Amino acid sequence: MFRFENVSQSPLQGVTFEIKDQDKVILFGPSGAGKSTLLFLFNRLSDPEGGHIYYKDERIEKHDITSLRKNVGLVLQSPNLFPGTVLDNLKYGPALFDEWNENEARKLLDYVQLPISFLDREVDQLSGGEQQRVSLARTLANQPEMLLLDEPTSALDNRTAEEIEEVLERLIKEHQLTMLMVTHDMKQARRLGDRGLFISDGKLQEDGKIPEMLDQPDTEALYKFLEE
Amino acid sequence: MSPEISNQSLLFLIVFVVVPLTLSYFYQLGMSRDILWSSLRGTVQLFAIGYILTYLFDLPASFGIPLMVGIMLIIATFHARQKGKELPYVLPVVFFGLLIVEVSVLFMWLTFDMVQFRPSEVIPMSGMVIGNSMVAMGLSLERMKSEFKQNNGRLLAALSLGAKPKQASHLIVQKTLHAALIPNVDRIKTIGLVQLPGMMTGLILGGVDPVMAIKYQLVISLSIFSSVSISAMFVTIAMYRYFFNQNKQLVESAEEIESQS
Repeated sequence: MFRFENVSQSPLQGVTFEIKDQDKVILFGPSGAGKSTLLFLFNRLSDPEGGHIYYKDERIEKHDITSLRKNVGLVLQSPNLFPGTVLDNLKYGPALFDEWNENEARKLLDYVQLPISFLDREVDQLSGGEQQRVSLARTLANQPEMLLLDEPTSALDNRTAEEIEEVLERLIKEHQLTMLMVTHDMKQARRLGDRGLFISDGKLQEDGKIPEMLDQPDTEALYKFLEE
Repeated sequence: MSPEISNQSLLFLIVFVVVPLTLSYFYQLGMSRDILWSSLRGTVQLFAIGYILTYLFDLPASFGIPLMVGIMLIIATFHARQKGKELPYVLPVVFFGLLIVEVSVLFMWLTFDMVQFRPSEVIPMSGMVIGNSMVAMGLSLERMKSEFKQNNGRLLAALSLGAKPKQASHLIVQKTLHAALIPNVDRIKTIGLVQLPGMMTGLILGGVDPVMAIKYQLVISLSIFSSVSISAMFVTIAMYRYFFNQNKQLVESAEEIESQS
């Protein structure tokens, strides 16, 4: 689905890898390594300074930017909901493309396990966990084929984080989504990921299967990171 | 009341300066120098502008008015741009905004015979319109910058859902305009109840019939109301696009988020 060839964007230096359809990839590494920078390159929230990115075997710049962003959904660490009701947030994306259908609302809330009565709730009255569920549902409303997740549970308490994680696991399986998730939680990485990309000092240090990578790191850098 | 204040009477104004000076001394505020300097500077500035105005009022209207309005526009432009000097094209945007406001207000005044084309009427009234518009533009620029910073996450969320810059920044434009217009709405609401507006007070003290003074005050208050709205709207709508690049990306957003993670 995505191919990165020698991509640079400070602090990333010449990163090369490929993401295939339905891959479940965990992106991890120390703070400031370039994880968010890398994530933002997938839906062109920023562009690389060097190298090339291919989406569906075509240069990413050739794709219409708004359609690309619709297909490659992003969930950030904070929910960043728009002022208004849950419904306002859910229909925001589809309404941009004139694709909103009122019947979708119930389905979306079902996905993230929130009752239908939440539709008319003002978002500032929701708990942190509920807000993050709405944020996830808002991204799903666009029916993306890939989800970019930037530490979506790190601001939540353990129990709520686990609940969101369960929702994510089920959704990704049911919708056969491709996933790229940034997390600092290695237990979560084991639970949700098949493959890992370890980034440190702006370089892709390791790319491999998740349990093996974490159990037997090939590089000194990953070994040290896991020790910390 | 006599419309004339004698120079001796003016001298007693020093009492009004001594009060804050004494306060500063007793409470060790360290502001004595500032108080003295600002009082002196204000006095000199006012007398200077008094003499300049006397000279301008004697000039033919077709020369004096464009000259003074032009100077006011230039000074106001440079002052307002300070609030957003890091943004591209802020100088021409502010200048044309102020020019459009001034020309449209002047057109209304003259067409409907609210104000005579005389330096003594047009210059002070234009000064009030340009001054208030300048403040509104500066505040809008400042507010817009802080809203963009505060709402970085929401903007990224909107863009990532497929919003174009105009759609993504709708909330920010709305908040900026709201903030710029609210003080004006409040001012108009309480006009004459909480305080008698400056121009009206001046005219009444100058011996003008209060009803006539109110008419002038209405002209200037509503002109300012309208110009402040146009200024805020113009600068906000013209400038929000420079927070994005041509690829519908927030300028510097990724780096900011990275440095926070």
